[in-house]
Amino acid sequence: MKHSLILRIGPATFRIGSAWRGPIDQLARLYARYPAVTDEIADFTVRLQPTSPVRRWIRPSIFITGDHGLADAAPMSLSHGLLAAEMGMNLQMALGWRRHLLLHASSVEKDGRALVMTGESGSGKSTLAALLGERGWRLMGDEFALLDLDTGAILPFPRLVSLKNRAIDVMAGEVGEGRMGPLLAATAKGDIRHMVPRADAVARMDEGAVPRLLLFPRFGHDADERPVGSAEIFMRLTQASTNYVALGQPGFAALTRFVGNVPARAIDFPSGEAAVAMVERLWEQMA
Amino acid sequence: MTGVDGNRRYCRDGGAVTSRLLDDIVLLYHYRSGQTHMVISPVPEILDRMADGVAVTAQDMQGRLALDFDMGQELDAVAEIAAHLEALVDLGLVRAA
Amino acid sequence: MSAARLVQALRDPAAVRGLDAKGWNGLIAAAHAERLIGTLAFRLEDIAVPDAVRAILADARLDAAREAHQALWEADRAVVALDGLGVHVLLLKGTAYAAAGLKAGEGRFIGDLDILVPRDMIDAVEDRLIAAGWEWAKPDPYDDAYYRQWMHELPPLIHGTRDRMIDVHHTILPLTARPKPDAAALIADAVPIADGLYILSAEDRVCHAAAHMLADGDVQGGLRNLWDIYCLLEDTDPVALEARAARHGLIPHVRQAKRLAAALYGTSAGLTTWDRLVRARLLARDGWGRETRKLLVFGFFVRSHWLRMPPLMLARHLWTKWRKGHRPQ
Repeated sequence: MKHSLILRIGPATFRIGSAWRGPIDQLARLYARYPAVTDEIADFTVRLQPTSPVRRWIRPSIFITGDHGLADAAPMSLSHGLLAAEMGMNLQMALGWRRHLLLHASSVEKDGRALVMTGESGSGKSTLAALLGERGWRLMGDEFALLDLDTGAILPFPRLVSLKNRAIDVMAGEVGEGRMGPLLAATAKGDIRHMVPRADAVARMDEGAVPRLLLFPRFGHDADERPVGSAEIFMRLTQASTNYVALGQPGFAALTRFVGNVPARAIDFPSGEAAVAMVERLWEQMA
Repeated sequence: MTGVDGNRRYCRDGGAVTSRLLDDIVLLYHYRSGQTHMVISPVPEILDRMADGVAVTAQDMQGRLALDFDMGQELDAVAEIAAHLEALVDLGLVRAA
Repeated sequence: MSAARLVQALRDPAAVRGLDAKGWNGLIAAAHAERLIGTLAFRLEDIAVPDAVRAILADARLDAAREAHQALWEADRAVVALDGLGVHVLLLKGTAYAAAGLKAGEGRFIGDLDILVPRDMIDAVEDRLIAAGWEWAKPDPYDDAYYRQWMHELPPLIHGTRDRMIDVHHTILPLTARPKPDAAALIADAVPIADGLYILSAEDRVCHAAAHMLADGDVQGGLRNLWDIYCLLEDTDPVALEARAARHGLIPHVRQAKRLAAALYGTSAGLTTWDRLVRARLLARDGWGRETRKLLVFGFFVRSHWLRMPPLMLARHLWTKWRKGHRPQ
């Protein structure tokens, strides 16, 4: 393809090809501090291609596909090209990654121990991880946590943090413009801006941690904290995993071990600041 | 399922199953289907008592369970066990022999 | 061209030894796009490859093993559902190859469960499957009527809890296609394997694969179908195959499939002009796994519909599709 780039994030390498220059230039800028990979064999190929030949020039419309793709994926506007590239990489991980149990969860680390947070889109898990990543924790990932099938460790996948709507201003104020990507206005999920993780998150992206606490965060409610039964935890984690079924028995063994070993809480919080305080307190008590 | 033939015999599917106890819920991983099932009593107890591979009727199973548990009214218990066995047939964990 | 490299790697696994990173990336992308990554992984099992490639191929082998495992479970579920009906579960395509342990099944992508049943039993089979938890996948009444009137199979059924699809065929080509395979003969000569499962005879397996590839589709996924044919041919007797192809009205298709399989995966053979066009279409895949030669692709789409449907029916079908916002391509 005309424009391309190879990126390594944690254990996965992506070859991204695009019919347009813009998305590749944006990726190159935001991933500049990631390990340089130029001539490498990629785990996944991602393609950003026109939905039809004419769509390369007129009202350009991106079809996201690659080694793994969805036939009915909705096309995206070229102005959201960076998001398209990120979604293309997520799609490969979600559909194709087999070397770890993949949990749709954010994670942060402190003293070799990991805090894992899972929940629906909009639960605040991504913002909370980003915030903790600026407050003395190491960000491991805002979207996917990788559970090692043999050791039970959580491995990082520190791609760009995808911030939505209100979280954008909160984080931009915290980290400064230099680490922020362009504003992608009015996407299917509202406004989005990407944030480059801190240098330590990138430098230590091959370093795993032992999971010590699992949280089910929920943003926008009065502060509350509840225990969660292990059967419910197991169910919610299978739903949060895109490759649990594909991994078969090793996935079952890894997930039951995780649920058996890691204490869990559901937390509601009205604001990021309140959430950080709750997390610190729970971490003190439980991890 | 209703109207089950009382003489129908059942045995466990050959595909191995592993289980983990979480609270009062047993997780079963069924190799042959690749499916995970969450079950509660008396399903794990029934499956345990089929581990010897001998084909059993619901009546036989009632007898096996009665060795360890107070089963109450025998007729009710047999009907309930038969319903569980049929549900397990639908999942493929048990086969009609 | 990466499709050509993929064909070469399947034919001669040792040929991958000289590949650089760019070559590997192209080969792997093409193998994904053609749904041959698992097959490639099996073919390269004993070849020294870079670590990054070894990990990718190991993943593909695991996926293929799981696919086969799940496909066999679906076949088993069909046996249980049809028990006592007097209909054998006659497996077609991927599940058949996996169940019988055929070379064509090694690493092969398996999608839906395809079975062949006698046409006069199709309603009884449908009732049994629905009683066992399968449901209609396409609620659209036009599609449903289209399938029932013109196709060689029931509209696809999907299992309510296992989320897996079954295609129940009563013959191996749409009723509108020109060749009329002898479905009764396919069933009569089926071969029992294990656990109440049957597969087509060796010659019929080739006839079916050739019909599927050359008389039915738009040759999409053709490299994989052709790989199937190449492997399946090893089990056939050439004279018996000719006789069988004649019986099904598939002589030109089987002969062309043999020529193409030999040319791409075996030792070379003479190709006709039409063969060369088909080969060009089969190899239309670049180093990013994209289809190239769009015009040729479109040409094949039209051809596939011409082969299936007389022109008036085609017009009716496309009209109905277009009104619903579909476009060919």
